[in-house]
Amino acid sequence: MDMIEVIGLTRRFGQSAAVDDLSFTVTPGKITGFLGPNGAGKTTTMRIVLGLDRPTSGRATVNGVPYRALDRPLTHVGALLDASAVQGGRCAEQHLQWLARSNGISRTRIGGLLELVGLGEAGRKRVGGFSLGMKQRLGLAAALLGDPEVLLLDEPLNGLDPEGIRWMRGLLKSLAAEGRTVLVSSHLMHEMAVTADHLIVIGRGRLLADTEITQFVRPGMSLEDTFMKVIEGSAS
Amino acid sequence: MNAVAAEWIKLRTLRSTWWALGVGVLTALALTALGASTVISRWEPGQTGEQAAMGIVVAVYVGVVLAQLPLGMLGTMSISGEYTSGMIHTTFVATPSRSRVLLAKACVLGGIAIAASLLIAIPGYLYGHVVASGFDPTLPPAGAWAVIGGGTLMIAMTTMLGLSLGAIFRNGVVAISVLVVLMVLVPFAGRMLPGGEVVNRILPGYPALQLTEQMPDIMPDEAAFAVLGAWSVIPLLIAVLANKRVS
Repeated sequence: MDMIEVIGLTRRFGQSAAVDDLSFTVTPGKITGFLGPNGAGKTTTMRIVLGLDRPTSGRATVNGVPYRALDRPLTHVGALLDASAVQGGRCAEQHLQWLARSNGISRTRIGGLLELVGLGEAGRKRVGGFSLGMKQRLGLAAALLGDPEVLLLDEPLNGLDPEGIRWMRGLLKSLAAEGRTVLVSSHLMHEMAVTADHLIVIGRGRLLADTEITQFVRPGMSLEDTFMKVIEGSAS
Repeated sequence: MNAVAAEWIKLRTLRSTWWALGVGVLTALALTALGASTVISRWEPGQTGEQAAMGIVVAVYVGVVLAQLPLGMLGTMSISGEYTSGMIHTTFVATPSRSRVLLAKACVLGGIAIAASLLIAIPGYLYGHVVASGFDPTLPPAGAWAVIGGGTLMIAMTTMLGLSLGAIFRNGVVAISVLVVLMVLVPFAGRMLPGGEVVNRILPGYPALQLTEQMPDIMPDEAAFAVLGAWSVIPLLIAVLANKRVS
């Protein structure tokens, strides 16, 4: 039940289609990597799933209903879109406080979450002084605030240092192992190769592959090589 | 209710909120104190206690009206700041109904505007009472309610208008420019132009000045209240409709 479903989704901006008749299902209990070159439509798709943008046709549902129909949505879905899109004047704790309050979530979770994402010391510091990596950690804490069954993370590895990337990988794996639905977009092929269980690859808004990672990567080739081949194949 | 509480946390955790409120309230208090002393020193000795009480209320609500621009700008920044930073997307992910977000902001800002008006009016009134003690001011007469209502509605209206313009233009500089044009420039220019009478009737400035006894009556008080009410509500409705359009 805790699934993301995208059905015949199309989003046109003027003449060009950012997303073109895209269909896929993201299932629980594993990490699904969402791959595609710049401009492939990954972010547009995620924005539509979250009700931030409307599709030209088709639909996207979470747990069987459109996102905008969810009651207290943060308790069902956690999202990390653009980690740097926070107001710098608030401290990390205060940012999580308003977010928790907006969905009737107890603020007692905040301290533990800041510890979990490695911001235990920085909770009372202003977000304006955070590095991108720290903002990613704060964004992940915000996504986990409502203990959601479904997670949508857009480029969560941006700005993280090697230790941070390794930490994020472990955290995502444990979240998936708990039975959550985890959709992660990334450009980092080496990272996806060791993190994702399942892959959804899109190019020019169209679905290019929807498969287990073990079946996607051809013998003797890296994920990066396979990815480039698939993208080139779709472009010709 | 969750959305209202969240918007209150957002507003109170930004320093700029307290700067805007501090500048608005303190400037108004200082000017009220100066203005009240000057006005009261010119009163004729024959003033009755009731006239004195009314005079104090009028002097105090001039101060309240003076605090409106910082509050209007606070209204604008409460939403334009989220558009500039991009945090508005987090807000809409947490509360998908855009009209609910906007109305929650309106509730919080309306409360802040009324609180600010009381922070100016109550100390101002007590100060005026002390300065005018020689006239034995009574409790304010019934006529004072139009002044109190008009001044309070004016500051709340400007705050709402600031919020609505911020939500419509999604850009602080543009929204505040339009706010200043509507509240300051057009009324000023309107007075010199032919047909200025009509402009005065439909813009928010004159009705508030009429209700606070700063300008001669050119319309019934009910009409003045209605104009101010319309300027609070109609731009907000336009903002709600404009926000149905997804960014």
